[in-house]
Amino acid sequence: MSSFDLDGRRIPIEPGDTLAAAAFRSGVRTFTRSIKSHRRRGLYCLTGDCANCLVTVDGVPGERACVTPAHDGMRIRRETGWPSVERDVLSVTDHLHWAMPVGFYYKVFARPRWLWPLAERVIRRATGTGRLPVRGAPAGRARARSARCDVLVIGGGVAGLAAAATAAAARSRVIVVDEGEPGHALPPGGARTIAASLEAEARAAGAEMLTHHTAIGIYEGASVPLVGPDGLVEVEAGRVIVATGALEAHGVFPGNDLPGVWLSRGAVRLATEHGIAPCARAIVLDDGTGDGAAEALRGVGVDVIEVRGTIVSANGGRRLTGVTVDTPEGRRSFACDGLVLSLGLSPRDTLVRMAADDPVTVAGDAATPGCSIEDAVEDGRRAGRGEPVVAREPDPWPGLGSGGFVCPCEDVGVDELEAAWREGWTNSEIVKRYTTATMGPCQGALCSRHLAAFAAAKGAPSAAGGRTTARPPVRAPRLADLVGGVHEVIDRRTALHGRHVAAGARMDRSGVWLRPGTYGDVAAEIRAVRERVGIMDVSTLGRFEVRGPDARALLDEVLTLDVGRVAPGRTRYLLALDEAGYVMDDGLLAALEDGGYLLTTTSGGADRMETWLRDRVDRRGYRAHVLPRTGELGAINVAGPHARELLGALSDDDLSRDAIPYPGHATITVAGVPCRAVSVGFVGELSFELHHPRSRSGDLWDALLEAGRAWDVLPHGLDALDVLRLEKGHIFLGQDTLPDDHPGKLGLGWAVAMDKPAFVGRASLERMVALPLERRLVGLRFDGSPQRGAPLAVDGRIVGRVTSCTVSAALEEGIGLGWIRAVDGAFPPVLASGDLRATVGPTPFYDPEGVRLRA
Amino acid sequence: MPELRRTDLRVVTCLASADALDRLVAPGHGARALRLAPDESAFVTAPETAPEVRREVADRVAALEDDAVVRDVGDGWAAWRLTGADARDALAWVSALPPPPPGAWIQGDVARVGAKVLGEDDGLTILVPAYWDDHLRTRLIADAGAIEVTP
Repeated sequence: MSSFDLDGRRIPIEPGDTLAAAAFRSGVRTFTRSIKSHRRRGLYCLTGDCANCLVTVDGVPGERACVTPAHDGMRIRRETGWPSVERDVLSVTDHLHWAMPVGFYYKVFARPRWLWPLAERVIRRATGTGRLPVRGAPAGRARARSARCDVLVIGGGVAGLAAAATAAAARSRVIVVDEGEPGHALPPGGARTIAASLEAEARAAGAEMLTHHTAIGIYEGASVPLVGPDGLVEVEAGRVIVATGALEAHGVFPGNDLPGVWLSRGAVRLATEHGIAPCARAIVLDDGTGDGAAEALRGVGVDVIEVRGTIVSANGGRRLTGVTVDTPEGRRSFACDGLVLSLGLSPRDTLVRMAADDPVTVAGDAATPGCSIEDAVEDGRRAGRGEPVVAREPDPWPGLGSGGFVCPCEDVGVDELEAAWREGWTNSEIVKRYTTATMGPCQGALCSRHLAAFAAAKGAPSAAGGRTTARPPVRAPRLADLVGGVHEVIDRRTALHGRHVAAGARMDRSGVWLRPGTYGDVAAEIRAVRERVGIMDVSTLGRFEVRGPDARALLDEVLTLDVGRVAPGRTRYLLALDEAGYVMDDGLLAALEDGGYLLTTTSGGADRMETWLRDRVDRRGYRAHVLPRTGELGAINVAGPHARELLGALSDDDLSRDAIPYPGHATITVAGVPCRAVSVGFVGELSFELHHPRSRSGDLWDALLEAGRAWDVLPHGLDALDVLRLEKGHIFLGQDTLPDDHPGKLGLGWAVAMDKPAFVGRASLERMVALPLERRLVGLRFDGSPQRGAPLAVDGRIVGRVTSCTVSAALEEGIGLGWIRAVDGAFPPVLASGDLRATVGPTPFYDPEGVRLRA
Repeated sequence: MPELRRTDLRVVTCLASADALDRLVAPGHGARALRLAPDESAFVTAPETAPEVRREVADRVAALEDDAVVRDVGDGWAAWRLTGADARDALAWVSALPPPPPGAWIQGDVARVGAKVLGEDDGLTILVPAYWDDHLRTRLIADAGAIEVTP
């Protein structure tokens, strides 16, 4: 027989069991302890409305045992109580109410101020429900997806399914969302048969069923987030039909939270769905609605006493042992272990109350609590046709007794509401905040009507005495669902992605791109570039073509270099600053033969550069066009002493230094692929970036690898690039820079044409360069193997850190870049990095004269 | 069941002043004209007619404005066709965008990336930047209900 583990105890599972049903059958009566007073709480509603049965399921806290199907092997933990739910030392707090009056933490811990942080720690450990799993691997963000429909039906009961069938038959696109399966919340028998028929009708008409999904709110639109097993679904609906049914009135009287006190539907469900007797002897408080509870309980062998009247108190300690009732015949006491309450119904309307001006219709029990099956079907049909449904004001709930818990989630009793009112909190919203009533896991399902009735009974004006504001989420979602889709990284892939994977590359996430980190042997990849030839997919570089009569003026404003000095066919290093003079991006500017310009930017900076350029065009009215080409062009960097020979093997064009000078560019054809070859120096060897149509990337890559066999060409990834550029002392923006770096701090003052009259950031730069540098990026040589991020110290005082480092095979020493601060007005020439000695030195470390890249 | 298949389309973009684009006569050859922004129009066309479309657009806009830019940027786009009676329903599982009727188009979020959706007589064409090609295909297959994928 299948079973699950509950706090180390094996609980057998019968077919159709929920966690709660299986546990109850095995004798479990206390499912939780209350949040403040640590009172025992047992099963109560069995409809998922109350918080009495929240448990941790396989590490996920806050799951409702009464609506969670039981599966073999599950690991269930009851969440409250120390050392256990059954023997809870903290239940002593139930006898300390006198010391903890309502709002006591607002008063007691206000002075001295240091007390609250200590008290908070103690309170947090002693109260609350489940614990988030903060150890181990962090939970990922849930997936998020969008959906659109004409009609969203929330609730797969009779009314909801009738609405769905009718709307779908009228050719509307319909989605039905239900927390379980359609019809699952209905009692066995005729209602379920009708629901099954309506479900079949709806499906046949094309309605989609999203089962095991929960609508947690209704936002303007109507936009409805659904939480399901696969994550978040954000539905944009033309209109919403809420058919969430009704919930039973929560009775408030002394002892109302004792295990053994049941809402009628809960007791009946346990009996009829699972064949379990909720108790041996039950008092069924009959409100005259004849909901059949007594018969259902007798059917499973319960000794039932039907009583009319008003409950005075439920009596007992660990569980219910008796009830005192004011009957028409007078006050009477009954010995029993079950009290079943049928006190009326009210709409499950939290979602509806969130939807102020949205196109929302209510149907079935949610409109008319306790309506007949036939009326629910008719309501649903009407809602499905888009016709109004007349909602009936629910009967008032029975008044509050002399005691008992109004808000079982937060342990707020009648006396606490009274105390709050006496203290001057004479408004239901304020009473809510002061007492925390309605703020627990059930979000006021059980108590919000009571709170409103309490305020009204006290004579509060309607504006101050109504029900408190309903806000999402109506059910507790996982944190992973709440951040579903937020900052979701959707990888961009180059045209060569498949080839990299096939070649065994380790694909790394680099900003928004997936790029090869290495193909297996970083050292070999570096050697190939330094000694022979290597190729790298650099299609991720940002590229923009800028054209028009004002193209030069636009670029002169956005870039720090003097654009007019870049002759056609030549390229220049570019820096773009923000208004504060801080470095925003770098790259290359190529002046094209026909008067246009091609900019390359960093891979991560492309989107921002596009926005920057377009913003300037719009704001300044430049006659210039910015054409993004990042997605359209592939790019492969061919680098190494034999780079020119490799290209020569595949091209008939003139590849000489005169034809493609450094730094410069030319249009050539390589392996039949039209390319703009840009000579670059990032890795410190003769290098050509071949920008070409993305659709030809595969052909070009394959041809380079094939022809490159003569020189043992190797592809390389980001790991090799990191070393190669570091040997040249080149920075990686972001890795080696900070958000407030101006060019002078980075040693890039040479890239700024301060003799230009204006460019973005110039005014700020003028002010900053007049100030002494407090911090700057320097080249470092180490007498050992350095570590990235390691602090740099002078006389034990940390004055900087290593931003990039490696042990260079070409230089046979440890090298790096790092930030250092001035000490007593001067930058220290020697620092300590752990046990290593770091000596500040000039960059580039490798080929400082740049002979190799001009070969 | 809707059918999903990759389709080969070219996109000719035209950057010019709003006034010039307002007056630009769209090319023939069955090209779909998309006014993406006041200063940008795109023309979606079959590969075999792309050179003609590009030439026509370039000639026509040159008569209106001498510094307009016309380029075939089709390499930057990936196009997928969703066809069949349920194609619009399939889109509804990956996007809140209302599916455009035949001949119309809309742009916005599809499978959480920026896309352009073109209404066709037999379904929809979805265009995304080529670097999101795999993402769109994967999400359509995973989220858009039962669809038949044609290699």
